[in-house]
Amino acid sequence: MLQYTLRRVLIAIPSILGVMIIVFAMVRLAPGDPAQLLAGEFADAETIELIRERFGLNQSIPEQFLRFVGGVVQGDLGRSTRSNREVTADLAVYFPNTLELALGAIAVAILLGIPMGIIAALRPNTPVDLVVMLGALLGVSMPVFWFGLLAILIFSVELGWFPVAGRGTLRHLVLPAITLSASSLAIIARMTRSSMLEVLGQDFIRTARAKGLFGRGVVLKHALRNALVPVVTVVGLQFGALLAGAVITETVFTWPGIGSLLVQSILARDYPVVQGAVLLIAVSFIIVNLIVDLIYGYIDPRIRYD
Amino acid sequence: MTETPVAAATATAEPKRAPRWRRRLLRNPLAVFGMIVIGFFLVVVALAPFISPYPPSQQSLRTTYVPPGVGVSFRGPDGQSGLWVNPVTRSPVGGLRVDDSEAYPVRWFVRGESWTWFFGLVESDLRLFGVDGPVRFYLLGTDEQGRDLFSRLVHGAWISLFIGLISIAIGIGIGVPLGAVSGFLGGTTDMITQRVVDTLLAFPGILLAIVLVATFGTGLGNVMIAVGVASIPIYARLVRGSVLQVKNREYVEAAAALGRRRLPTLFRHVIPNVMAPIIVQSSLQMAVAILFAAGLGFLGLGARPPQPEWGLMLARGREYLAVAPHVATFPGIAIVMVVLGFNLLGDALRDALDPRM
Repeated sequence: MLQYTLRRVLIAIPSILGVMIIVFAMVRLAPGDPAQLLAGEFADAETIELIRERFGLNQSIPEQFLRFVGGVVQGDLGRSTRSNREVTADLAVYFPNTLELALGAIAVAILLGIPMGIIAALRPNTPVDLVVMLGALLGVSMPVFWFGLLAILIFSVELGWFPVAGRGTLRHLVLPAITLSASSLAIIARMTRSSMLEVLGQDFIRTARAKGLFGRGVVLKHALRNALVPVVTVVGLQFGALLAGAVITETVFTWPGIGSLLVQSILARDYPVVQGAVLLIAVSFIIVNLIVDLIYGYIDPRIRYD
Repeated sequence: MTETPVAAATATAEPKRAPRWRRRLLRNPLAVFGMIVIGFFLVVVALAPFISPYPPSQQSLRTTYVPPGVGVSFRGPDGQSGLWVNPVTRSPVGGLRVDDSEAYPVRWFVRGESWTWFFGLVESDLRLFGVDGPVRFYLLGTDEQGRDLFSRLVHGAWISLFIGLISIAIGIGIGVPLGAVSGFLGGTTDMITQRVVDTLLAFPGILLAIVLVATFGTGLGNVMIAVGVASIPIYARLVRGSVLQVKNREYVEAAAALGRRRLPTLFRHVIPNVMAPIIVQSSLQMAVAILFAAGLGFLGLGARPPQPEWGLMLARGREYLAVAPHVATFPGIAIVMVVLGFNLLGDALRDALDPRM
């Protein structure tokens, strides 16, 4: 297990480095002077020179990159061109909100998706199965923002059950979390169903049935434990994807998370914040995937010897 | 990642397979439904100005937020009942009314405003449906500038189709050779390519497209390229996996034994045998690309007004959700239908091309 863990961690490092290269390149590839971009549209010549000095923009590209990596490691991502606050300080405020939303969404996706998948798998090719699978297909086909708007229209505007936007109480979390969960829920339900169907067709289930076990005993005790192994991976991957998917959901519900911060910063051409937000989302995604790999290796020892 | 399950679809290289998978596809009712939806979508793209009753950008500030299915009279005020009320200002709009007294039937094939299509090659004033007389008929209502929502949806269809096609073209054009060479040659080439692909996949879902748009600028053209580039690592990973399964088959060894060089063998013998997963992925990629582009349009990073892009239309409708919910609802339905069509077709293709799944 230790060797496996080390190997996985080592594989993640080039990805993180690659992400840093891309984030670094964003400002250099964007049309315009990088110093001007990092200083903001309305910066005076003096500020631009200061930025040029600070980020070493007169130096060669490799030197600039080393300086950038050094800054990232020390938690220095520059200052927002709009608010002049430290980017890291902003990220520290917004990121927990995104995490809260993503956790809420993954909870909804697990609590609804897995039972739906099981129900569909127990009655394959029946109307129940068809409804669940069509619902899942609709879930991955729906634009998140449209689903969110419909939810707002029905549950906030018409019925008045939940607030229209913002963050605060648990009631604020309900609609955004359900909206964000839609596609993950669908994917988890489909994965649970196919995994469950595969397990139910295997010999040990037949043995359990032959021993006289039937109905719920077989399903819950023997089949589910085996069927959930691949589902765990999908849940983990989906959680990572939710961090990025939150970009749109947060904008719909004006949720003060890292996604809406990213969009506002792009529209305002606030490059330091854009870089910081992209870096944070991508690195969290890599770390979540790493953790998923480790958990997978732990619950299914066969994986470790690949 | 949404796309990963496809990687399991594998190519089987049996001769005379085509008729069998086609039969299997046509027997699947969901596949047929998907194909009908896609066919309808293509017809709408091809005949947009004929199908839409009005020009997509024609504004009328007197008929804003008209609800679906309402005909609005353009004759002067004469104190009749049913004055048309602007739901935002809550005041009667000068001289307009919902006229119940005289019925103007909606007819097929009416003469309307003239249009040109296909770069001026086709010119006509015939429209699929409309109303004769001093009345306008808004099938799906109007938006905040009094533009006919149905006409705008119809004229926006090509944007979604183009985004999907360009995305697939970029994905196949760059991602497929990249993944194929990487898997076939192995070694250092493979190692380096896979690290690059890993890095690109570290930007999940729509994030890679957002990063590209943030770097190179917003707008419809850049969105098409960004969504296409975002599909490269997915194709590369998929094709690499399929090539690894095929590359040790006898026919590849036979080609090597005959003295064929590696790369020509790859393109002549290996890639044609991994076409099945590429075809499946391309159908699903249409769906993903349309969703991503609409998402970027919604965020204000894509198409710009007055382009009738569906995501952008939805974003505008969001601001008037309480007074005119139809403005945001119908573009959403259009997106769902088209995306669902491609997802259904993609799923069905996977089942038909690889019955073991």
